[in-house]
Amino acid sequence: MVRRYLNLWGSFFANSLTRDMEYKANLIGGIIVDIIFYSVQYFFFSIIYSYVDTLGSFTREDVMVFLIITFISDTVYMFLFSGNLFPLNRLVVQGDLDFMLLKPINSQFLVSFRYVKSYAIFSLVILVLMLLRQSSLHSADIGLMNYLYFSISFFCGLVIWYSLDFLIACLTFWFKNFTVGGWLSHELLKFSSRPDSIYTGITRKILFSLVPMALVSSVPARMLLYGLNVKLLMFQITISLSFVIMTFWVWKRGLLRYESASS
Amino acid sequence: MFKFLKKYSAVIKMTWIQTLEYRANLYVGLFSILSGIFIEYLIWKQIFVARGTELIRGFTLNELVAFIFLSMIVGQLKSSWVTSIEMIDAIRSGGLNKYLIRPISFYTYHLMMFIGQNSLFYMAYFTLIAAFPFIFPGLAFTTNFQVFGFLAALFLAVYLSYNMYYIMVCISFWFHEVRALVIAYNIANIILSGQIIPLRFFPEMYLKIITFTPLPFLVDFPVSIATGQLPTDMWASKFFLGFCWCLITWGIGKTLYYFGIKQYGGYGA
Repeated sequence: MVRRYLNLWGSFFANSLTRDMEYKANLIGGIIVDIIFYSVQYFFFSIIYSYVDTLGSFTREDVMVFLIITFISDTVYMFLFSGNLFPLNRLVVQGDLDFMLLKPINSQFLVSFRYVKSYAIFSLVILVLMLLRQSSLHSADIGLMNYLYFSISFFCGLVIWYSLDFLIACLTFWFKNFTVGGWLSHELLKFSSRPDSIYTGITRKILFSLVPMALVSSVPARMLLYGLNVKLLMFQITISLSFVIMTFWVWKRGLLRYESASS
Repeated sequence: MFKFLKKYSAVIKMTWIQTLEYRANLYVGLFSILSGIFIEYLIWKQIFVARGTELIRGFTLNELVAFIFLSMIVGQLKSSWVTSIEMIDAIRSGGLNKYLIRPISFYTYHLMMFIGQNSLFYMAYFTLIAAFPFIFPGLAFTTNFQVFGFLAALFLAVYLSYNMYYIMVCISFWFHEVRALVIAYNIANIILSGQIIPLRFFPEMYLKIITFTPLPFLVDFPVSIATGQLPTDMWASKFFLGFCWCLITWGIGKTLYYFGIKQYGGYGA
């Protein structure tokens, strides 16, 4: 079963790569947008850190690692999901979801993974190299085990982000034409692009539970920089599992409301 | 002139009706501003506490938050990237034809459409701005002069911003795929025009470069007027400079369109 779906994703990837290579300007444009986005974020924090040495527990060098992890999350997300969840609204409104539902595979899988933004691979390779370099220069002792905990935490963070974005996209089943879904999830994502140490009190509790954006990048950064925090990691795994289960449930409920074209 | 106004006010009305159908845009827009200002407040609060000072670059924490709050509102009102993407698509797909065979201007039609699309935001944000003296008493709009100055500068910022986007739109006559350019500009603009950090917090080197561009007139200028950060005796010279930038960008846009339309095949890319 897992192998079948992996093979299927491989075919999706090959197909998307062929499509993307036909539009080279899009490919180059995507890379340029990524570079601008990273530069802007870097510039923002370089200004912030010209006025202060630490933001909570995050020093300047910690934030550099955090930023690269945020960029990697963003790039992996772009690579896997951004070409799929954003058009869900159109699929529902125009009734094109019918074609997805007729295929003999899990419809949520098809809707979530059909298109791959292959150009993100270039950014991803560069960012991973940057992370390796930045963490080797870091004053803290970052060992292999840190990378292992980081990988688990990073995966959970990605699952949380996917789930949240998917849940927002599914609102189209209830609001009929929910064109602002992409914008809304982008706005929520803003919370994950700042270190969790700036959030305190009730905001912190919300960002660690109901809208767990602090678990997307900050917690993986903590695992890499400060090592394993069993409680935090278990908590992140629980939240990511809960959210992914919620997507299965919401997808099924949403499909029950779906009435094909112009529903 | 009357015909011109009648024609294009119809475009605003039409877009206004369409916009009213999608009120969710407004709620997300408000959420965007309020969540944005909240995050900035948390960051700057920590910086003020860590430094143990009352003032950074002449701003108290409240003054800074008020400044950023207004900057975010102005930043969102002046951004016409969605309209620009539609214009680029029209050029790429041959949709420009319908403007060429009708007595309407591609430039003015989309300017009016942009104003119409943003009309809901204008109303909601002007309500927020009207509440400003009560939320941040004494920090902005302390005189009527500041209110009128702000409105004039905002008008200038919106028009200048539209012209800058229009230049990028016209580039698509030669390089069909320039959507990435518009998006990249939009992302860079969030920081470089001072939308989330006031320009005077930037390093000197960057400030010197930015001064020679129209960027300070997009957000920093109207907000500095509203918050009293810009001395009144400098208003006239700044308005004049902003007006010159409007003329320059308008001229570049017109020239690019003039030559670009000769490249246009009318059948789509």
